[in-house]
Formats: sequence, structure tokens, C-alpha cells
Amino acid sequence: MGVIEAAFPTPAWFVELVARATTDPAELERLGIADLRFGVEVVLPDGSVEFVGLVLDGFDIAVVGPTTEASFAPDVVVSGPLDAWLDMVRWIETHGPADSAHSLNGLTIAGIPLAARSDDAMGSDKFYRFMGTIQAVFDAAGASAPAGSQV
Amino acid sequence: MALGLDLDYLDRSARGEFDLGWLRDTGAEWGVRALPSKTGLTLRDIAVGTYGEIPEHAPLRTMAPRGSGVEAGVPDMGYTINDRAEVWADNVLDLYEEAVSRQWSATRDIPWADLVPLDPDIEHAMCQLATVLSEVEMVAADFPAKWLWRINHDFVEAKMFLCTQVMDEARHTEVFRKRALANGGGLGRATAVVERFLQLILDAQSYDEGSALMHLLGEGIVLSLFRAGAALAPSPVEQQIFRLCMQDEARHVAYGTMHLRYRLAADPSVAEDFHAYLDQGEEIISMIFATPEIVEPTAILAAGGLEQACELGTAAGDVLRHQIIGDYLKRCAHAGLDRRGRLRLPDALIEGVPGARDEVVA
Repeated sequence: MGVIEAAFPTPAWFVELVARATTDPAELERLGIADLRFGVEVVLPDGSVEFVGLVLDGFDIAVVGPTTEASFAPDVVVSGPLDAWLDMVRWIETHGPADSAHSLNGLTIAGIPLAARSDDAMGSDKFYRFMGTIQAVFDAAGASAPAGSQV
Repeated sequence: MALGLDLDYLDRSARGEFDLGWLRDTGAEWGVRALPSKTGLTLRDIAVGTYGEIPEHAPLRTMAPRGSGVEAGVPDMGYTINDRAEVWADNVLDLYEEAVSRQWSATRDIPWADLVPLDPDIEHAMCQLATVLSEVEMVAADFPAKWLWRINHDFVEAKMFLCTQVMDEARHTEVFRKRALANGGGLGRATAVVERFLQLILDAQSYDEGSALMHLLGEGIVLSLFRAGAALAPSPVEQQIFRLCMQDEARHVAYGTMHLRYRLAADPSVAEDFHAYLDQGEEIISMIFATPEIVEPTAILAAGGLEQACELGTAAGDVLRHQIIGDYLKRCAHAGLDRRGRLRLPDALIEGVPGARDEVVA
């Protein structure tokens, strides 16, 4: 089980993550079409913020970043300290698909250690509507890198 | 006009003397070509030309496809919902495509073989929750099914979406019944207060009333329960069940929110009617928050066991209560119906929920 070589949360890390998640298009299509602008906000120890966007459009997934929340215009943002994000990523790298406690849903439901925010109800409901797809993307951190993929 | 067998036509057509009126005198937009987008040919793709024009008031009450030529003398189907605003939502075309694309099977897509024996209290709690959910989910099939045949065929996209909801809810009823029976726990207890809320939805005097109670209030609560269930799942089986159900339920809630928004934008004067529907619904919902068959299994699952739950009380469940009420207020606000300061929930339930006590700003 290979670990993504690029550092989290660089855009390169997300590009490789998406490459892994889309290795088998049939698997992604089985999850169904998605329509979500998902913001990842990582608060670094010095208080600065790294922001990367994931765009789920039909069966396509694109990485936008580094960017800002204002320019990305997300439906929903999941935000939290670097340590919390790394705990999730390392757990998936070690064990495979996230269990309840290490899933995006489980980590955000109480607002700690990660929090989901949206400007309106439709944004948060989109997070719920496409939870399986966005989780499958992050679960790919534990999958083998596709042959020929580049970081 | 009485229908009768045209014997002359049988003779003429046998000799090749066709009528061809349907071919020559057509109002069809010949040459209007719907092109597929990247996920296939979607409802949005075929909303082209006059075919994409949805009337504010349906001129006929027939099953003729919108945009087709309609022969004189077609029977009146007796539809009672003939105004677009009564059932429409701006996201309904996309929600239908999403629903069809994201269907799943309670038999095939749940890793049933991975079920493991659980602590008996946890198993009882899971089975009680599964019992309640298997009970309440079918009303969200019964209600749209009850109203579908009354909705004018000109709003066929909305009808089609409601059909997907019927299938979704059948699957939810199925999956929770299966969960209750799959690990030795069996079905738990159904309660009168839950049944009263379901009756309120089913007996709604209008689609407006039932949709507000079901799509916005009831399904919003169940959506939060699904989200909590996925977060508290004791095994990958329950995690997958709750996650898949959450996705479906969020579509229904998204329809309900946007339908109410469309309805209020078309006729702001009906806002007070919706407030009255929700006043009534919230009064029953407040009793559900005090129903042991719902509160206690949730507390046990949240705390990780009966002893832990007894130590914590309902503290673990407070997160869920805050989420339910907070999300509900947000959806109402997005629809254009401000329920802040008007909630028919006791202070004990809205304690700590941001904005729940705010007075409505005139």
C-alpha cells in the first residue's frame, strides 16, 4: 500500500489522491454522478491557512489549488487543524477506507476536530448528498497508486 | 366525443391509403435536437425549445406529454394540482438525474457478511433505531404516492422525482428491516407518538402541508439521524447503511427546501399557512424528543454502551439535537420562511441552539 509522496496538504498531494480515486472509472460511476465544490481548509500551526478545492462534476473530479475560499466559491468547506487532517490521512494510509470515527462525517459531526461550514442549507445538504463520493476520494489515500501516475 | 372503431379506416389502411395526419399536421419542433452532455442525455439536456417551457398553470388535465400535439376529445384526468408552484422546485431536474444515478441495493451494496456480534445493549439499541427508521421511512413513500396521481402531467419532472423518492424509501424500509433481523436482535418497539406524526403527514389536506411536514421537518430530522448513525456505526455494515440512506434523504430534503422556496416566491401570501403546518408538526416532534424508544438507543450508541450512556445522560445526544434544530432553521431560512423565535419546541430542547430564540426581524 503506497503512501502519496507529496506532502499533505499540497495541491500535488490532492492531484495524486484524485488520480488514485479515478483509476477505476467504473467504480466511480457506480457511486453515481456528483455535483459538489468541496473546500479543504487546513489550519497550520502558525495560524495560516492552506486551501484546496475539489470539484466533483458528473463523474469528473478536479483539483483547484492553492486557492482561497472566496475565489473557489465552495458549496461546503471542511476546516480543521493540520494535526486533525493528518490523523485522518495517516489512519486511512494504514488501515484503508475510513471507519466511522475517521470518516469526514464522523470527524465533522460535532464540529471538532474538523468542522463543516456552508453559506446556506443547500451547501450542507450537498455535503450529505455526495458524502459517499467525497469519502471515496479521501479513502484513495490508502490505495495503491495507479500505474504511470505522476505526482 | 364517443370513441368508436373506424371500420372505413381499416379498409383504407389495408389498401395503403394511410391517414398521415399525425405526420403532415404536426406541431412538433422538427429539427430541435437535444444533445447529450458529459454524463449522458439528461433531463436538462432535453429541456430545449418549447419542450423546456413549463407552464405556470397547466392548460389541460391529460397525460399527454408536455409539448405533444393533443387530439380533441381527450379525457379529463381530474388532476387537482395544476399550478406549477404547487409542486415545482428549481433543482428538480438535477435531483432526478442524481437519484437515478445514485441508486443502490440493500441486498448487494451492504457488506452483510461483515456483521459482527455486538454488545447486547448496543445490538438492542441498533435494532430499536432500525425499527423506528423502518417504520418512518415508508410514510415518505406513501405520501408522494398518495399525491402523484393528482399532479398534472405537465409537471412530469417533479412526478418523476417523487417516483425516485418512493423507490428510495422502499429501500430504506428494506435495509433497516434487514439490519434489525440480520444480527440476532430483531425488531423493537413502535410508538404512538411516532405514528401520530406519520398520520399527520399522511392525512395532510394539501400537498403543501404534507410536503412541509415530510420533506422539510420529518426528513430533515431523519437525515440528521442518518448522519449520526453513520458517525456512530459500530461496524462497516451500519456505516454503509446510514451513509447511503443519508445521501438519499438529503436529496428529498433538498427538494423540499427548494420547493418551499419556489412556492413562497410565487405566492408570499401562503407563508402563514406553512407556519401553521410547521407549528403543528413541531408540537408532535417535541414529543419525539422525549420518546425513550428514540432518545435512549441514540444515547447508547453515541456513548458506546448502556453504562456509559447512563453516566453521560443525554449529553452525547445533544450534538444531534443541536444539529437537527440548527439544520432545520437553516433550511427554513433558505426557503424564505423564518422560524426563528417561532419554534413550537420547549425551551429545554432549543437550549444552546444558535439562533433558535432570535426574534424574527420584521
